[in-house]
Amino acid sequence: MNYSRNELIQTEATMNQMRNSIYGLARFMEKSGISNLTTKLRQMGQNIARTYINYWKPTNSISVSNIKDVLTTTYQLILNSSVSIEINDVDNLISVQDYKCALCKYHYNDIEIAGCEIIIGMISELISIISKSSNNSEAIFLEPFEVKDSRAYGNKSCIHLYKFKIGKGD
Amino acid sequence: MGAFQWLMKKITKAFGRSTNALFYTLLYREVLKEINDITKNEEKSLIVLREIGKKAANESCERHSAVFKFMPGNPKKVLEYFEILWVVVFGRELENFSYEESPKEGSKYNDYVLKIEKCPICAGYGQDTEDSFDFNKIKDEKAEGFACGLCGMLESVANFILKVKRSDYRIEIVEQRCIAKGDDCLQFICKIYDYIEWKDLMNSKIKERISLGVYFDEGIEEEIEQETKLDILDKLQDVISIDKIEEYIDEPLESIKERVSEIIKDKLNMEPEHFFDYFRNYEDDMIRIIGYLGTHLLNEYGGLLEKTLKNEWFAKVLGYVFKQLKEMTLLFIPLDVIRDYNQLLVNFLDGLAPEEMVENIKQFTGKDTINYLFEGIQMALENLGIDFTELRDNIWEELKAERENGLIPSEASTIERTRERIPQFINIIQEILMVINDILTLPIRVLISESHYGIKTAINSVVSEEEGLYGSIKGRFDNIFDQIQEIRK
Repeated sequence: MNYSRNELIQTEATMNQMRNSIYGLARFMEKSGISNLTTKLRQMGQNIARTYINYWKPTNSISVSNIKDVLTTTYQLILNSSVSIEINDVDNLISVQDYKCALCKYHYNDIEIAGCEIIIGMISELISIISKSSNNSEAIFLEPFEVKDSRAYGNKSCIHLYKFKIGKGD
Repeated sequence: MGAFQWLMKKITKAFGRSTNALFYTLLYREVLKEINDITKNEEKSLIVLREIGKKAANESCERHSAVFKFMPGNPKKVLEYFEILWVVVFGRELENFSYEESPKEGSKYNDYVLKIEKCPICAGYGQDTEDSFDFNKIKDEKAEGFACGLCGMLESVANFILKVKRSDYRIEIVEQRCIAKGDDCLQFICKIYDYIEWKDLMNSKIKERISLGVYFDEGIEEEIEQETKLDILDKLQDVISIDKIEEYIDEPLESIKERVSEIIKDKLNMEPEHFFDYFRNYEDDMIRIIGYLGTHLLNEYGGLLEKTLKNEWFAKVLGYVFKQLKEMTLLFIPLDVIRDYNQLLVNFLDGLAPEEMVENIKQFTGKDTINYLFEGIQMALENLGIDFTELRDNIWEELKAERENGLIPSEASTIERTRERIPQFINIIQEILMVINDILTLPIRVLISESHYGIKTAINSVVSEEEGLYGSIKGRFDNIFDQIQEIRK
């Protein structure tokens, strides 16, 4: 009897080679003429979230009051990352700073993409799926906005920006 | 499990960047799906995934090449250490596996077949809507399965080890059975080729991939030129290989003396007595040099010590550990133990060094020897970045002062995180001190056993996993690695 996905949730895997594989994939995509790498990576993240939610979710209801805790928990338990979070109510942006991003570590001269595009795709989708099913009028929905800084671009940390909406799910 | 295997697994797990294993598996799946979106052909997609895995692992190995210099250079042994390869690549233990040798006529090495009952890559595949890569579309019986990317990674790591160990052999690892394809287990076949056969094989694979239209890079088949400049590790690995820890630990003092004598004769072209004669009447300096060089030698292991000490916080912690150790050794270790330690040094030099020198060392008290050793180590640590003049009386004053000075950021969460980590740091310091205490009891065990029960009893007391020194140290390092993993989270 093979492992179940529920069993995998309980264990950890080393990302070093997988992280390099993301950039290997990006090179292959570029050479194959794929131009919208950012969209492609975010879609990969969204697909991961749609499966992941079947096995684990941080909570059943997410609003502005608990979004920081939810993001901290999600980054910690899925990615093993301790992050700093800021909410900008004026522009409806959430900024997450990660000094040890699981998918970015080195700057590559031949490719200009951040592996953490996958992460912002996954996190925003995970939050939005939970909010959609929560029937909470104050539920918060996230969309991937931008990877503002990334260690893959040569920055010291990765900064993930999410656009948020309240109670306005699809 | 051997000491070397255990150590490598612990180091890899503690210092690798890990995530949840389900995230890893789903990311792996998505990579394959994206490749398939481009190739529109499942068989080609698996070939591309394997190539991406190979290049990814090779890139990682190149960055940490020093670590692999301690791995065994014999292809058969590399395969015997498959568990380590698995941990290096996947970060988790290899469970429920069997290993068979398959005879290969006309070849120095047989093929090896590895069956693994549980595959984390295939875990639960097909149960979710997003598992859309269809393995039923694969018609070629020779095509690999879902773990082909992992297979490429394993092959790369194995061949990187053989390359840095200057072996004339290379290993091909191919996935033969796949749970996602409907097989009952994951099965790899590992084939060993000499270098010429390997180059031919790689060239034929390149041609095959070009004909399939999936050759997208020069790849890593091109052998990286052997380094011409040999560092100290390259020289050491010829005579000392960490995979032989178990062998060395079985050798009594006389055999170790013989080995040291051979090294001096072989590497320095000198008789041991002539070598030690340089230090006659400077015996105290010789002991300082042992401490000094020993510490620098430790740093040669990928420059890990020097890199660690570049971080001000780690430099301070290690400085305090060293200071405390220096005081504790003389305060808490019984004088008899220190004397025995000194006696062991005398016994070691007896026959290797000139008689006059041995007589001079006999005049040292155990306390003198320990002090000289610590002085040498301290000089090396100062070289490597610890400023002992800046250290306070103990680590508690340092922590208190940092909080009062406001050097730790005022943001509540950061302070909380730092405070959360303090118990782990304290545990690590405590465990390191206990490990050192354990090691310091070694000469007593050796000497007493030599005189009363024979050396074999001593060795048993050292290597016994349950009760012996090895077991005790292993347990303590288990705790240290656990604490490091907690901190890194």
